[in-house]
Amino acid sequence: MSILGIDQIRALFAQEAEVRLTELDRLLLQLEQQGGDETLVRAIFRELHTLKGSAAVAGLDDVSQLAHELEELVGGIRSGDLAVTPAIIDTLLVGADQLGSAIAGEPAGVPGTDAGDEPGDEPVVAVLVIDESATPVTAVAPSPRVPMGVETATAPAPEPGGVVMVPMDRLDELVRLIGESASAHLRMGSMLMEKFGVDPTLNPEFNELSRTLNELQERAMRTRMVPLSTITDKLQRAVRDLARAQGKTIRWEVRGADTELDRGVLVALSDSLLHLVRNAVDHGIEPDVVRAAAGKPVGGTIRLHAMQLGSEVIVAITDDGSGIDTSRVRAQAEGQGVDTSRLSDEDIQQLIFRAGLSTTAFVTDVSGRGVGLDVVRTTVEAAHGRVEVRSATGRGTEFRVIVPITLAVLRCLLVESGGQCFALPFHRVVLSQRFDETGQTSAEGRPVIWVEDQPVPVSALAGTLGICGGSPDGPIVVLADTARRHGFQVDRLVGQRDVVIKGLSTLLPHLPAVAGASVEPDGSILLVLDPPGLIQRARQAARGQAAPGRPPAEPSKARHAVASAERTSAGALQRILVVDDALTIRELQRSILERAGFDVRVAVDGLDALAKLAEGPSELILTDIEMPLMDGFALTEAVRAAPDLANIPVLILSSRSSEADRQRGLEAGADGFILKSGFDEGSLLLAVNRLIGARR
Amino acid sequence: MTQAHAVLVPVGEDLFAVSIDRVSQVVAAPSLTRLVTAPSHVLGLFNLRGQIVPLLDTAALLGLPAGQPPMFAVVLQSRQGLVALAATAFPCRASLGDPVGPSDLPGTAGTYRVKESIVVRLDPDLLLARDRPLRAGENSVSVLPPVGAIEPVGAITRSGSAG
Repeated sequence: MSILGIDQIRALFAQEAEVRLTELDRLLLQLEQQGGDETLVRAIFRELHTLKGSAAVAGLDDVSQLAHELEELVGGIRSGDLAVTPAIIDTLLVGADQLGSAIAGEPAGVPGTDAGDEPGDEPVVAVLVIDESATPVTAVAPSPRVPMGVETATAPAPEPGGVVMVPMDRLDELVRLIGESASAHLRMGSMLMEKFGVDPTLNPEFNELSRTLNELQERAMRTRMVPLSTITDKLQRAVRDLARAQGKTIRWEVRGADTELDRGVLVALSDSLLHLVRNAVDHGIEPDVVRAAAGKPVGGTIRLHAMQLGSEVIVAITDDGSGIDTSRVRAQAEGQGVDTSRLSDEDIQQLIFRAGLSTTAFVTDVSGRGVGLDVVRTTVEAAHGRVEVRSATGRGTEFRVIVPITLAVLRCLLVESGGQCFALPFHRVVLSQRFDETGQTSAEGRPVIWVEDQPVPVSALAGTLGICGGSPDGPIVVLADTARRHGFQVDRLVGQRDVVIKGLSTLLPHLPAVAGASVEPDGSILLVLDPPGLIQRARQAARGQAAPGRPPAEPSKARHAVASAERTSAGALQRILVVDDALTIRELQRSILERAGFDVRVAVDGLDALAKLAEGPSELILTDIEMPLMDGFALTEAVRAAPDLANIPVLILSSRSSEADRQRGLEAGADGFILKSGFDEGSLLLAVNRLIGARR
Repeated sequence: MTQAHAVLVPVGEDLFAVSIDRVSQVVAAPSLTRLVTAPSHVLGLFNLRGQIVPLLDTAALLGLPAGQPPMFAVVLQSRQGLVALAATAFPCRASLGDPVGPSDLPGTAGTYRVKESIVVRLDPDLLLARDRPLRAGENSVSVLPPVGAIEPVGAITRSGSAG
């Protein structure tokens, strides 16, 4: 199962929100008739709370914010600070309408405009204030709300009515059809040459069609692009707020904000850039007095510079602060058992991306200040990118995030193995080198080579994929996932180029080692391998019987070995129980965890979770707090109280951000606490792996 | 007696039928790319005018032992996109009358008579359901001979004038 895209998440959210808004309306009208019954108020609170969390996950921050404000209002009723008056009910109903409008992508504030005209009615004002504040303070031009599952065109229209909103899937279909036309055109060229001996490149009409198709393809791809400026306001706001909170004077500069990249990539990258600018304010720029004492200009500067370089976009975030204290990083690394004696300062700087170097045992809010940069790296790598850092003590730090312009096109290294050509995404390739028998040694019964003073195990790619063949002296390609490196011996290196990647049919079982496939100009199909899945498969095979370097097995035996490895893998799958009453979040978590190879079951609340645990054990419970029937605290307590469940780690994933909630989670026996606001694939897997990863 | 139009899918000695509404087209000996690490009932992938279509071993899906190599791919439409079932001989059209009896294999929906042959009707949704456990006979990987390029069989297209 592939990870849900933002469109799928929003479609799920639209489905969920429709049900919840209907229920909210019903509950509010009931509240008006029956007054402030405690159960009823709690139910309304829960609906709003869940909408808030799901909207945040769906990336609809204004909807989430609106739900949050309404939730605060109901919180006031719950605590007895506010009485249930008709004005309050009006406010809540208007707010619910506004939520509906915001979710449907209609212009905000329409239902509440009349109510907002009534002066002195504080709750109404409160709701309307939200609406106003939802417009970015520093934005050059306010952007309209984007409807569910719909993307805007690239640039704001110069005049009203000049923009047509097109669903993303229609654009994808258009891009696909154009790609097919280009491919058919190339095939026709080959046919002209082979069957009729006519060189098509000498034909002006053929060349004209080539040129038009290329241009059409490029323009179609461009329709999916959005400029970086769509998120720079948010970054500026974060810098401003944090600088004010810390009493620092910081100037924000942006260059290349019109650099465009695929919206999917930008969405994936947004949180990482936010992390980096917050870190620059918090850890980079010194307080004014310190700067003055060091003879530096009083106001610090944070620069964001974006540029396109070939098929990649580079976003550099630079500060003129104190730089990375390499001696401190060195000491911390050594404290964790890393031998730093042979590492240069530059190598030491790269260590800041290592998991666990700056984090504590208790998993904390990953979107907050001083986050582990390992999360940034994981997120950027999930978008097929990489992140680099350069720093000079006393002069500043520069982080460079380098991502492909689009996820649909991947730069790949093409290799041949067992008579078949495969593409390896370039951002996962550490190096490729010729086979050198003298440089190869052995550890734990398998071949190992030295790469940058680190031992790296080597497997035959053909053997790992369960196919025959494989040259015993072919070159070795070293691949990396977020934690490990692994070498694969191939028959030959074919070259490198951009590959337009397509997902495989969902009717096929999930194949962790295969990322997708591409239709080649000659009509053949090229498989794109997924290095993390490949590395995991190689390690499993090495633990089993299919040791690399052995003579190629017969096909039937190879298949048997592969099937056996698959069974072993299936038998060793770790089971996670996801407990959340919000469909959007539940399914998002399920998709992320299943893709990472976990066996996932879901439950809709604490009671359902206990019933599922009675049916079969789990190695980890991932739970929300706010749920009907039994909440996450009560579930955690019940798990800790049951002797046969007491040892299962519990990770809380909640919208509640207060220290009291965190503390209560700890007291109930939870092992970790992640905020939904900072929840993404990288942070979730990081938290899960910290708790149970060691046993995988 | 009701009549239903179907495409007959020969699998070894047996004949199976798929409702013609679900059949997109039939492709003769497509050039297959091996899908590494896939279960053995996935015979490979082929390119159908830019779309990547998986070819599945019909015998393995039904839990039957492997027999002759597949010569044709019967391309089906499904909610999840195109998918092809392997046929070991030319698939032709037939009309199915009323069922003459039930069928036992998972993914099937009754037994029919077409002239002197017994035909078992397939329920593609059940047959292709990912969580349906596969039975014996999963070791039937066969390499399709490269007979020719992808050629739709015009007589068996779902729509158009072939009718």
